[in-house]
Order: sequence, then structure tokens, then C-alpha cells
Amino acid sequence: MAEPVLELVDVRYRYPTGSEVLRGVTFSVAAGERVGLVGPNGAGKSTLLLAMAGFLAAGGRIGVAGHTLTRGTARDVRRHLGLVFQDADDQLFMPRVVDDVAFGPATMGLVPEEVASRVAEALSAVGLDGYEERAPYHLSVGEKRRAALATVLAMRPQILALDEPSASLDPRGRRRLIALLSGLSNTLLLIGHDLDMILEVCDRTVVMDAGRVVADGPSRQVLADRALLEAHGLELPLSLAARGGPREAAAGHPPSLAPGNVDSPRATG
Amino acid sequence: MLDHFAAGRSAVHRLDPAAKTVALVAVVLATVLVGRDHFLPLVPTALALGVYHALGRTPPLYVARRLLVVSPFALAIVVLFPFLEPGRVVWTLGPWGIAVTHEGLVRAGHLAAKFGLSAWATVLLLATTRFQDVLQALARLRVPRAFVVQLAFLYRYLWVLLDEGMRVGMARAARDGGLGPWRLRFHSRVGVVGVLFLRTYDRAERIYWAMAARGFDGTLHGPAAAHMHATDWLFAMLVSACGAGVVVWDQVAYG
Repeated sequence: MAEPVLELVDVRYRYPTGSEVLRGVTFSVAAGERVGLVGPNGAGKSTLLLAMAGFLAAGGRIGVAGHTLTRGTARDVRRHLGLVFQDADDQLFMPRVVDDVAFGPATMGLVPEEVASRVAEALSAVGLDGYEERAPYHLSVGEKRRAALATVLAMRPQILALDEPSASLDPRGRRRLIALLSGLSNTLLLIGHDLDMILEVCDRTVVMDAGRVVADGPSRQVLADRALLEAHGLELPLSLAARGGPREAAAGHPPSLAPGNVDSPRATG
Repeated sequence: MLDHFAAGRSAVHRLDPAAKTVALVAVVLATVLVGRDHFLPLVPTALALGVYHALGRTPPLYVARRLLVVSPFALAIVVLFPFLEPGRVVWTLGPWGIAVTHEGLVRAGHLAAKFGLSAWATVLLLATTRFQDVLQALARLRVPRAFVVQLAFLYRYLWVLLDEGMRVGMARAARDGGLGPWRLRFHSRVGVVGVLFLRTYDRAERIYWAMAARGFDGTLHGPAAAHMHATDWLFAMLVSACGAGVVVWDQVAYG
């Protein structure tokens, strides 16, 4: 197993109001792995994401790309951990798409030419070439989501962590996102309830409930475990429930091949 | 939408935003520095704005509507003048004999003209320049970053907030349908404002996180400097010179 780029050891967090949301979360993610993080509402998934970036003072140990998270290393950690927030309107805060994508690289102190080339690269990676001058307000939900992803890609983080990336996307937008994520070479942490998407994109799935990890294993195994999923407020992914078995789960995506590197044939249609 | 006409390609659209911003400041100064009750020195400014307006092919109705939106603040002061200014009484109103004076009417008219010209100039700038370009221009003109950033955020999130307000308002209307005792309706409206405030507060926190997640440490990196062409310099200098000329003329001719 490769060197872990994300290491969580007994991570705990209690809201100022007293309720405990993270009760000792432990798992690690190796470089290049694609991991789905699922669980019912209130399981602590989004809180864990904020804790990983050092926005919440959590107990335990959080290591990102060789940096142990402390107050002093939060900036280094954030440089390697690309967070894509659930509401793209929060992520896109500049007047133009190009300013927003350039924000991360510019704060990293890169020279303007390097910033410009990263912006172009990130926008073309998400298929938004020519959107530079557009105002985020005028983008569709799907375009906003992709633009938000570009803002983080431009920083070339080692880990990409996305919170509910497919929420409120139409089927075509969702397809496109799946193809896009499958084609990335970054380490991925996908949080959400779209189990079908996680089954397609992620090799491994971690299930959280009530602030703890309750299952951790290959997606095709964890997401096919009806009893486990139902015990934690989840359901079998539609593709597994409808076709009766994981073997046919992702038709067109033979599981023996690494999912990704090629766009899903359905995405281009 | 504010930016609808700003995407045009006329000669005045193509002028450098910084040159236009400087010209706007010159026009506003040349308007407000004109001595009280002097109408003639306002005429060149009005003519110049008329030419700019025509060159930019800005629809007059659009400008009129924008002016209406901003005028209530000024009008509230303008309508008080005829009553407050001492002078020759033109007529009296009502049983208490409230006097309207000639001097008051002139003063009100002058004030309205000054306000109208300044607002017209501002609306024309925004109708021929995209807002983000105005922001960049302000940054290039060394307006403090904090101020520019504040405006940028306002522009970015105003629509998001309006949308949110509309949704919350609709959710409320869908359930009260304008019926029920007024006290309850009033309470629910106050509730909408409260909900919006809390959501805005939460959003501000999430935006900060999104910024910090991308390395924000309090310093903002300005846009690359753009270069003004000869036409831009000429435009800015011509307007500034004319503005200065108007002010000097006003001082000399009227003392």
C-alpha cells in the first residue's frame, strides 16, 4: 500500500452546544485512491471535511500529505487538500469565473503567467473553456459545480474532497461529472448520498454513522451489503438493487479495469 | 439586469474603464462645484452626457428607470426646499398658510438638476462598462482594496440574496395566502427578514471557509495592470479639462 496522503486517527469533535458529532474517526487514504464517504444525514461527514481543513478544532490526529494538522500547519494542509463545497455559490465568490479560478493559484504566490496557464488548464479540464469572462451568477447549476471544481483543480491539490458533488444535478450534468471525476488522477474523497455515483467512481467506500466509521472496504462489497446499508439509513445503489448483483452493476464500466482514465461512453452522448 | 447593455461594442463601450471612471469623477465634480443657483454652467455637462448617451446607444427608458430607482433619496430633500428657504412668497398652502418661496423653488430646481446630472453620468458609466471592469478600474486607480472587495462581494451576492429572499417570501405566501389577521402576517414577514439575516450570516462563514481553503490569508491579489491607449488618455483628459473649465467659468462669471 502506498504512502497515505490522508490519515485520520481518532478524530473527535464536539459542537460548542455540547453534542458530539465525531466520536473517534479513524481511516487513511493512500495516494491515488478514490474513496467514497457515505452515511445518513447527521453522521458527521461534512463536519469531518471541515475538521480536515482545520476549520474546526477537532481532537485526534489529522495528517494531510505529510503535514500533521495544527494551527500552524493549516495553510500547508489546505494547499494539498482541495475542498469543493456543497453549495457552489459559496465557492464562487469573485465577479468573474476567471478571477475565481485564479484566486487559489494567486494566493499561493505563483507568477501571473503560471496563474494564467493553471486557470486555462483547470477550465479545460472541467470543459468550461471560454467561460473566463462569465459571471458565476449567470451559470447553470451544473456549470457552477464544474467551475467550483476548477477553482480547486487550479491549485493542483494532492487530494480532492467533494461534498455532495452530484446534489441537484440533472442526469446529464451528473453523468458529465462522473466522467470528469473518473478521468482525474488526483486522490479523491467523495462525500454524499449518491451511492450509484460512488460505486462507479470509487474503488473503496467508508460508511459513517453517528460520528464513527462503521464499515470500510471495497465499494462493490460494502455497497452490495443490503443489511449494513439499511442499518445505517442507506439503501442499495439502484444499479445493484435493480439488476440483482454487483457483477452487472456498472454496465459499460467493467470493474476489472480501473474506472476512469477514459470517459464513460454514456457521458459523451 | 444591470450588465445587459454594458456588453455592447460602441466607441464608448470600448474606452478603458479607468478612463471612464476618471471622467465620471470629473463630471460629478464639475456638477457639484457649480455655485448655488447657477444654471448655465450645468448646460455643457448636460450636452456632453447627451452625446455620450447617444454614442453608447443606451435606451433612454432604461436610464429613466435607473434614475427613478435612485432618486427617492434626493427627492425627499428637494421637495422640502421650497418651504424652508426664506424669500419672496409665491403662494401659500393650506389653512396654516405654509409659504412656498421663489428662492426655495429655484434652489430645489438647481439641486434636482445637479443630482440628475450626477446620477445620469453614473448610470451611463454602468450602462457602458461591465461592473467587474469598473471594479478593476477602481483597483487600478488605487482605491483601497477593502472598499473594492466590499463592492465585489456586494455585486456577487446581491442576486443570490434576492433570490433567496424571493424563495423564502414565496414559501411564506404559499402558506398564508395574504389571509389571516394582520398581526400574524406582520410576524411572518418579520420572520422572513430574520431567516434571511441568519442565512446570510451562515453563507458569509461558508464563503470565508471556501476562501481560506484556497489559501486566503487576508491579502488580496490585484488584477494585472492594463494599459490605457492614447484614445483613453485623450478622453479622460478632455473630460477633466472641460470639467475644470466649467468650474473656472462658473467662478469667474458669477463670482
